[in-house]
Amino acid sequence: MAEALLSKKNKKLVKDGLWDANPLTFQVLGICSSLAVTTQLKTSLIMAFGLTFVTAMSNVVISLMRNYIPSKIRIIVQLTVVSALVITIDQILKAYMYDASKQLSVFVGLIITNCIVVGRLEAFAMSNPPWKSFLDGLGNGLGYSAVLVILGIIREIFGSGTLLGYHVIPRSFYDAGYVNNGMLVLAPGAFFLLGCIIWIQRAISGYAEVK
Amino acid sequence: MIDTKSNQYAFIFAIIVCVVCGVLLSAVSEGLRKRQEINVDLDIKKNILKAVVLEVPIPQKAKPQEVLEIYKTKIEEHVIDGQGNIIEGRKPADIKKGEKGVYPLYIYSEGGKVKSYAFPIVGQGLWSTLYGYLALEGDATTVRGITFYKHGETPGLGAEIEKAWFQDNFKGKTIYSIKKQELTPIAVVKGKAADVYQDNPEAAKYHVDGITAATITSSGVTEMMDRTLRAYEPYFSKVRKI
Repeated sequence: MAEALLSKKNKKLVKDGLWDANPLTFQVLGICSSLAVTTQLKTSLIMAFGLTFVTAMSNVVISLMRNYIPSKIRIIVQLTVVSALVITIDQILKAYMYDASKQLSVFVGLIITNCIVVGRLEAFAMSNPPWKSFLDGLGNGLGYSAVLVILGIIREIFGSGTLLGYHVIPRSFYDAGYVNNGMLVLAPGAFFLLGCIIWIQRAISGYAEVK
Repeated sequence: MIDTKSNQYAFIFAIIVCVVCGVLLSAVSEGLRKRQEINVDLDIKKNILKAVVLEVPIPQKAKPQEVLEIYKTKIEEHVIDGQGNIIEGRKPADIKKGEKGVYPLYIYSEGGKVKSYAFPIVGQGLWSTLYGYLALEGDATTVRGITFYKHGETPGLGAEIEKAWFQDNFKGKTIYSIKKQELTPIAVVKGKAADVYQDNPEAAKYHVDGITAATITSSGVTEMMDRTLRAYEPYFSKVRKI
């Protein structure tokens, strides 16, 4: 194949995941974890990195094996590969970022069941070569990450008055009667926020569900 | 060429995938084990320091070495037996899993005076085992602090045990009634302890506010308090000054 590594087609693969077919706003997948881990920016970033890594790498691995995987057990094989990657991430977090891994608790492990990962494996990696699959996984991971980071920033600033643990809302605001919005710390706040993000993104991209 | 649709092929493929993943994961786990153990150990020490409520709190951004240094200078580690005697020459770290009749005890002193006795509390919640530390004041009667550092309860419900409001509500409660001369293990009530025992201030001293919609976690806490405090009572009855 004489196609350039970053040809127009390949760039589109990344862009699709980021914008036109964003897993959260377009496919509405992976909602559970995006609500659970975004109370702080730090946990959002770690989760975003974890999912991007797992989606991209599992896409590559499955794509390399795609012609050999017996179709009868393909989902099991996919899950085995995904699990191995997720456990690796979990172990690394436990070794190098213990506090963060305690905060994320079960959600790192739950990347295994995240629809985005298995969705991309089934829809893309099973029928495309490794480099394209890597870009597709990267794009979808980054698309998820972008929404997570936006949620994390808004929720941490307005829910706790901090950003990455540093106070950003000045003391004088609180003295003047400003209070943190407690709802943003809870899951319902994230749900409304995510709804708004989906709305804005779809308004700009012009996507509408077909009746 | 093997028939890729046959069951035989599927079996062989599955076995190869499992073996490769298994070997890689064991390597990762083995390679990182040392660091993880250091983290767990540090976390436990931090929690003991949190439970005993240091007079000079640890700075927020303290480095691991600083925390270990503070721990070393402030906390004495002991092991006691079922009769309440300190077993000389033993450390909590060398208690074997499943060993019965020995209990770890951490003593926090400041300027030669005992400020607090801390010991681990372990019990069953709804989904998981709850791990924490309970610390008593130097009088071996009043609760000084409590922490839960590991559990798998539902966030917002059972997981409230790790929140400050729940843990603060243990502070100042008493585990021993001087009037009746008997042990009064701390129990979690449904609702607010102050409301439930409005007319019985004596009982309000050893009951704490419960967590709404977390009855099983709450009763797990009550059970672990009862069991643990009874096990340590032989020792505390010796050091208690009444």
